[in-house]
Amino acid sequence: MLSVENLRVVYHDVISVLNGVSLKAAGGEISVIIGANGAGKTTLLRAIGGMLDIYEGDIIEGDIKIGDSSVRGLDSTDIIKKYGLTYVMEDRPVFWYLTIDENLAAAAYSRWDGAVKADMEKVFEYFPVLRKLRDQKAGYTSGGEQQMLAIGMSLMTRPKILLFDEPSLGLAPLITEELFRIIQRLNQVGMTILLVEQNAHAALQIGHHGYVLEHGRVVLDGLSQALLENEDVREFYLGAGAKERKSYQDAKRYKRRKRWL
Amino acid sequence: MIDLIQTLGAGLLIGCVYGLLGLGIVIIFRASEAFNFAIGEFLVIGSFFFYIFYFDLHLPFFLALPLGLVTSGAAGALIERLSIKPLLGRSGLSMTIITLGLGSVLRASVQLIFGAHSYSFFIDLPDITLELSDLLFPSERVWAGGLSLVAFGLILFFIFRTRWGVAIRATSESQAKAMAFGIDSRFILLLVWAVSSMCIAVAGVMISNFGALSYLTGIAGMRAIPVVLIGGMDSIGGALIGGLIVGLCEALVGSYVEPLGLVGFKDVAPYILLLIVLFIRPYGLFGTVRIERV
Repeated sequence: MLSVENLRVVYHDVISVLNGVSLKAAGGEISVIIGANGAGKTTLLRAIGGMLDIYEGDIIEGDIKIGDSSVRGLDSTDIIKKYGLTYVMEDRPVFWYLTIDENLAAAAYSRWDGAVKADMEKVFEYFPVLRKLRDQKAGYTSGGEQQMLAIGMSLMTRPKILLFDEPSLGLAPLITEELFRIIQRLNQVGMTILLVEQNAHAALQIGHHGYVLEHGRVVLDGLSQALLENEDVREFYLGAGAKERKSYQDAKRYKRRKRWL
Repeated sequence: MIDLIQTLGAGLLIGCVYGLLGLGIVIIFRASEAFNFAIGEFLVIGSFFFYIFYFDLHLPFFLALPLGLVTSGAAGALIERLSIKPLLGRSGLSMTIITLGLGSVLRASVQLIFGAHSYSFFIDLPDITLELSDLLFPSERVWAGGLSLVAFGLILFFIFRTRWGVAIRATSESQAKAMAFGIDSRFILLLVWAVSSMCIAVAGVMISNFGALSYLTGIAGMRAIPVVLIGGMDSIGGALIGGLIVGLCEALVGSYVEPLGLVGFKDVAPYILLLIVLFIRPYGLFGTVRIERV
C-alpha cells in the first residue's frame, strides 16, 4: 500500500505546488486522481516516484510511505529497485533514438537477473504490435505504440506499484480504451495502480477509488462509482449535470469545507 | 601522382587519430551537452600515465597501454565527480565553462608535477613501416592510425552493443526519462567521462609518439574543435569523418600550400574549412538539425 501524508512540495524554493496532500492507494486497487491543469497531479507523482530533484522541487513537509517504510527523499533508482514502484511519466517517456528492443533493454538496466529476455516476451504478449516493430526506432512509431512501449518499459522494471501520468494524453479514443483495458489487466494480475487522468470519465470507470485534486489539495475523495455520480464532479470534470452554467465560485459546495484527510 | 597518394595516405592516418579525439568530445557532448575544452589536458594526463607505466616501470607496451588507459579513465571519473557532477541538471553551458577553468588548473598541475621540459617519447613497437615502391608511411604513423581505428571500434561496440551503452544512449536523450526507468544518470555521466578520457588518452599516446611529451602537447587536443564541428557535434560517425577530413586538409595544405611560402598555414587551414562547412551546414555534416521554438 502507498500512502501520502500531508505532502507539501515547492519548486525553486518559492513556487508552492502541493499544499498538504494526503491520499492512499490501497494495495491491489486502481486509485484515480483527477484534477484540472496546474492542480499538482504531475508534481504529486514526481514526488512519489523520487523524481523531484531533476525538476528542482523539494518536499518541505509530509511523508510518503510504501507499506511501513518512508520513501521520502529517495531517488527514483532506489525506489524502483527496493520498493518496486515505477513512475510512467506523462507524454510517452520513450527514448526516440533507440529501437523498441533497446528501449525495453534500457528499462531493464537496473536488473541483473537472467529473466530479461523472458520479460520482454511477456511485454510482447501484452502488446503484440510492438513485436513487429522491435527493430524500429521508437521515434518513428505512432503515439499509441509509444504509450504502449512506455507501459511495456515500466513492466521491465518488475513493478508492484505503477504510477501512470495521463496515459491517454493525445491518443485516439479507441487506443485510449485499449490502454485502459491493459491497465485493468495489470491490476488484475496484482499490481497496485495510481492513475492520473484528464479523461476523468474513463479513468473513474476502471478505478476503485478516486481523488479530486485542486490547487494542490485533495478536495474530494470516495469510491469511483460515488464520484461518477457526484454532482460537482459531474459538472466540473465530466462535463455533464448542470442545466445552466453556474459560476465557478458559488457552485463548489465542497470547497467551503476544510478537509483534514 | 605518387606525391598526392603519399599525402592523402598520411592525412588519413593522422585523421584516424583526430577522429578518436573527436569521439572523446562527441560522447560527452551527447551525454551532457557540454563541450570539453580541457581535452588537451586530458590528452597530456593520459600520455603521462602511459609514460609512467611504460618508460618508468618498463612494462611491456600491451600491458602499459591498458593500465595507462584504466588510470586515465579513473582520473576522468574523479575529475567528473569533483567538477562536473555538482552541476547535474544545469545547462550544458555551465559545464562547458567549468571545463575551461578545469583546463587551466590541470595544465598548471601537470607543469607543477612533471616540470616544463619535454620527455622523450619513443614506443618500441614492431616496425610496420609501409613501403610500396615510392610510397613510405613511417611505422609510428601506421601504428597510430591502426590503433586509433581499433580503439574507435571498441568504443562503438561498447556504446551500441552493451547494456551500459544502451543506458548511455538513453541518458543522452533524456536524463529525466532515464532516471524514471531506474537508470542511474549520475553513474552514467561518470562512465561517459571515463570512457571519453580513455579515448582521448589513446589519441594522446599516439600523438606523443610522433615527437616528445610535455605539458604543451595538449595544444594538439585543440584539433578536436574543427573535427567535431565539421562532423557534427552529436554524431559519432561524424567524428570519424570529421577527423579524416581535417587530417586530409592538413596534409594537403602541408605539402602543396606551405611550400609556397605560407609556413604554418596547415594549422589554420582546418579552421577555414570549418567556416566553409558551417556556412553551408550550420550543424556540421552529420549533426542532427535541431528544431527549437523560441
